[in-house]
Amino acid sequence: MTMLLNSYERDTNLIAAHHQPAIMLDLATSRDIDSRALLRGTRLVLDDILTGRKLISPDRFLTLLANCQKALNADDTSFLFGQRLFPGSYGAVSQVLTHSQTLHQALIHICHHHSLLSPLCTPRYFENNDHLFIYWLDSCGAGAQFTFLLEAYMTAVASMGNRMLDSKLPWRFNFTHAEPRYIEQYWVHLSDEVKFNQQLSMMSIPLDITHQVRLKTSPISLQLALQGSKSQLTDIGWEASFLDTLYDYFRENIQQNIQLETVANAFGMSPASLKRKLLKHNTHFQKQLDLARKHVALYLYQVKGYQHHEVADYLRFNDINNFRRAFKRWTGLPPGQLLQENCF
Amino acid sequence: MMQKKIHSSMVIFSGLILCALIGLYVHLLVGELKPWDMIDWLDIVAEGGTAILAVFWLALLLRSRPAGRVTFWLALGVSCFVFSWWMDCIDEVIEIPSGAFWHNWPENMPVPLGLLLLTIGIYHWHQEERAISAQMIKRERVFREHRLFDALIPIGGADYLREQVKLALKEARMAAQPLALVVIDINDFSHINHSFGDLEGDQVLQSITQLLLLNLRSQDLLCRLAGDRFVAVLPNTNNHQAKIIADELETAIASLAYKTTRQGNRIQLSASTAVEVGLQEEANSMIKKLNMNLSLIKKHLITSPI
Repeated sequence: MTMLLNSYERDTNLIAAHHQPAIMLDLATSRDIDSRALLRGTRLVLDDILTGRKLISPDRFLTLLANCQKALNADDTSFLFGQRLFPGSYGAVSQVLTHSQTLHQALIHICHHHSLLSPLCTPRYFENNDHLFIYWLDSCGAGAQFTFLLEAYMTAVASMGNRMLDSKLPWRFNFTHAEPRYIEQYWVHLSDEVKFNQQLSMMSIPLDITHQVRLKTSPISLQLALQGSKSQLTDIGWEASFLDTLYDYFRENIQQNIQLETVANAFGMSPASLKRKLLKHNTHFQKQLDLARKHVALYLYQVKGYQHHEVADYLRFNDINNFRRAFKRWTGLPPGQLLQENCF
Repeated sequence: MMQKKIHSSMVIFSGLILCALIGLYVHLLVGELKPWDMIDWLDIVAEGGTAILAVFWLALLLRSRPAGRVTFWLALGVSCFVFSWWMDCIDEVIEIPSGAFWHNWPENMPVPLGLLLLTIGIYHWHQEERAISAQMIKRERVFREHRLFDALIPIGGADYLREQVKLALKEARMAAQPLALVVIDINDFSHINHSFGDLEGDQVLQSITQLLLLNLRSQDLLCRLAGDRFVAVLPNTNNHQAKIIADELETAIASLAYKTTRQGNRIQLSASTAVEVGLQEEANSMIKKLNMNLSLIKKHLITSPI
């Protein structure tokens, strides 16, 4: 029962309309587009946003983004939106990013505060010996709009990093989707180091860069901002989405025999309700479970350097051939071939 | 400008309405209403519909075109048609005694007059179009496709560039002359956006576009690839010539004394350029190689700041 208390869903009102939705509106209206057309279907009026107190659901934010994308009809909308996102002026949580002493700190704070900073697209980080990786998961079942979100939020993180350290940092980007027609937007706004049809949508940067200490930051301001952002999180009351929570549960219990019934039990709901909730987020049980297992397998191979049989053992496959088949189903490639391509 | 446009459209429209009313008044004065069962409704719908369509043309014409001589002639011509069809329509309802020697004039006279005015208008339009095309020559080659034009900067975007490189490569192969591409990337452009605001950034891009166009030859084409990155298509140009042009463009940008619109602050601009020459290549791979050349040059720029 306790598991679900902190998770928001597609229709939970948690996004401050005057923060990121307003940035998108500003961008579109600066191109002479009427705001009423942009707000169509969102049940919002401009005055709601101006109160500075209105909260909207992921569903409505996605509608707003779709309206703007359609009205602007340009390939760079997501990237221009992304450039304006971080650190933003979202109160204490933006101060946390501004006062972070290293990029490393800022990136971890972004992941920790993602329900405030990136409510539609969840960033998660891990490190190996020389790189820091941030990969992104669909928080609320954005479907076809997920590409737009990835473009926007990866641009947001990358351009914030570049500004913090005042240089164009050697970011590298992987995307699960195929190379889009407007590839030049990726070159110009992200980097030339961009690959498509990859296993994870992920960005990486050398660790030593993330540990460069920035001058002119104040540790006291950071402490104060952190206290403020903590109460911001308690105020909205959500730290992770339903899909985030489910993913975390899968990863924690990956070595158990995970069944729909046991998960529903752990979440304090009936199997039918769990199925319904998954459907509401445009996904289903097996898809989410396979995603978690794929990520664990890739992590074990690439970061921990496990061999085939060790990964199969870890994931409780009795038969290595069964594991190979499952792995191919998750990733589209047999394990050996995938490792040669070095997907990280 | 906007004032003048509204003003002249108002003159044309009110003139037209006045003429239409005078026509109606004269008809009512002289003629008499037809009995109900004599009216041919199909004729009224057909002639009235044509008149309404012509009013629609007139509205589009006046809305889309800047006020001036050409617009005036065209609008006057279309107005004559509207008037003629309107009178045609009235004619169906009001009977003019056939003894009146002028009874056919209101519906027949405006047609040749309208055709004459429209012809004068189209002739001047043709002249105007040629003058505009001469100015557009470095922004579009061979064909016009306004849907591929960039929303912010009035030159072609990446899709237009790809189409044009394909065409230019075909031409280059036929003439056995190399085709060169030059990419121009503004250094630290995000810094400008960040310090002076996005609107100022847009202004800078627009100014740079004009500047680059001025520095190209008449056979060259300039497109905006994305963001602050432009590509010039240089037909019939070898590597050496392309490098010279690239250097010229770099110098032009470096010596542009751009001032911000609000405070008049000088923004120091600089650009990096790269060149790719091809003949047997495919358009997409050529553009990709061009960008790789640029990123090599930019990396060099980061490691050795001069």
